[in-house]
Amino acid sequence: MPKPRVAFFDFACCEGCQIEFTNYGDPAFLELLKHVDVVEFREAMSEKTTEPIDIAFIEGSFTREADRARLEDIRRRAKIVIAYGQCATTAGINALKNHTKDYKAFVYGQDAGMPHLDSQKAVGIDQAIPVDYYAWGCPVNKYEVLQIVSHLLHGKEPVIPNYPVCVECKRRETICRYDDDDYCLGPTARAGCGAPCPADGIPCEACRGFVDNPNHEALVKVLTKRAGMPKGWAEEKSRMFTANQRGDAK
Amino acid sequence: MGRHFLKDQDFQAFLRALLKAKAVVGPVAKKHKFVFARLEAPGDLRLDYDVTILPPKKEFSPTSQDLVRFDGARFEGCVEPQEKILFGVHFYDVKALDMTDLLFKEKNDDRNYTAHREAATIVVSNIQKVAPRAFWASIGSEVKPKGHDAWLTKISGGYVFETRTAKGEALLQYGKFVPATEAQFRAARQANEDILKKCPEKLQGSSAEVAKKVRAAFSREELWTKFAKDCFSCGSCNTVCPTCYCFDVQDWWNVDQKSGARTRTWDACLTEDFAKISLGSGAAENFREERAERFRHRFMRKSAYLNPKLGGPACVGCGRCSMACTADIADPVRVINEILEA
Repeated sequence: MPKPRVAFFDFACCEGCQIEFTNYGDPAFLELLKHVDVVEFREAMSEKTTEPIDIAFIEGSFTREADRARLEDIRRRAKIVIAYGQCATTAGINALKNHTKDYKAFVYGQDAGMPHLDSQKAVGIDQAIPVDYYAWGCPVNKYEVLQIVSHLLHGKEPVIPNYPVCVECKRRETICRYDDDDYCLGPTARAGCGAPCPADGIPCEACRGFVDNPNHEALVKVLTKRAGMPKGWAEEKSRMFTANQRGDAK
Repeated sequence: MGRHFLKDQDFQAFLRALLKAKAVVGPVAKKHKFVFARLEAPGDLRLDYDVTILPPKKEFSPTSQDLVRFDGARFEGCVEPQEKILFGVHFYDVKALDMTDLLFKEKNDDRNYTAHREAATIVVSNIQKVAPRAFWASIGSEVKPKGHDAWLTKISGGYVFETRTAKGEALLQYGKFVPATEAQFRAARQANEDILKKCPEKLQGSSAEVAKKVRAAFSREELWTKFAKDCFSCGSCNTVCPTCYCFDVQDWWNVDQKSGARTRTWDACLTEDFAKISLGSGAAENFREERAERFRHRFMRKSAYLNPKLGGPACVGCGRCSMACTADIADPVRVINEILEA
């Protein structure tokens, strides 16, 4: 059986998730290359392809109408499309701009009027094309990505958690941030990272976004009651990585 | 079996000898909380703990456990019991182990659990400090703790050590034990009785009453919706529960794509996808889709459904769920007492 053809593409993002793919260390990465044929990956090679692809990893959010045609072309050629990283899944932190008006002038100053900087609302790529699987995270969890690829190679549904980070904290007996007089977004945040931040004494910021049905009202309640946040702050708090998943998404 | 006594000044030497001879797991401090962990030195043991984050069940059914390993050509089961001493388990956790012992054995003998369990020696410690949400004195008091090999009780001047099995007797060789006097034995019994009066929370009904009323409340949807309003579906109440035993099984391949393992991981029925099942052809169905349904299911399981099998409720009153619940809605005492009052 020929090796599946794998390609990486990027839209509005920092390309950090693609870099994660090269961060397995040589032995694991070279071993993986025995099982997949990487045909386009601009972070690591200069070749490109216009041929059909088995698995397309698409990084970055859809924020320019002009990108639609390219996304559609990838979708036409790809058997499986994976929204790769938080920008591609829900527009991640890019979606923060949906809540501001002055971002262009603020970020680009005198160059703000240049045509290639013209962009609209930042949304996940599934607003332009159908997506088969979601690799959540800012950045992605590279080991989870390895398992997604592995499960696809074996014809198995990838295992992608839809439970909160609390599950992983409890499994590793991490002391809850709330029991340490801190705040945490873990109760509504999608797990799959292994909860390294609370284990290091850092609150979860929900960099993998929300679970499918987050109880945001209850989150605001614990942020105010248990973490002592002012109400307005508590209501805004989860927006950083979840702007498009909240009730007030633009 | 026997009643023995060990002086305070001989206790460290006993632990040292024990640690030298066997793998010993006991309660140790993790910042301001406690966890069961392998003891490296006698001083690590904290018998003054109130409750651990996870119950000792994890020693027999780890949070994640390989069931089968494969290399592309061969499959191999991985029942790999390790002989160890679980030292300082509270009686409520022994009651919980009695339940998982039964549940993992009925119908199919789950060797991945039972082999670990058989390889362990369990030493109970009397409760020296009460956890802030404990209610072990008022739940399932008709069910007595069984599966332990010795019971250690701190009294003035030392420890009373009651052996229950040959495995418990075998520990006597590691310490300077002398026969306990009648007065020492009575002091130990008193200490274990007195602590029962110090539980901060109390269930207002017998097991039978609770089971009946909780069951009768099944169709009161408005009640469960109210209870579950702030539920995150985070499964913390399940994950820390000593009597929860559900797991998910998945296959994982190593990077060579040939070798790998079939692994089971603790699951939690409060999480949204727990009851999501395949209908074939890519379709799925969730038979407990609503938060309130999942919340109710836990209460049915803990206070009613398993009672005929276990002889009492599937809850031992450790209070771990009450403490682990970020929204503080999981406390069985509050929920059940409210149902009893209605």
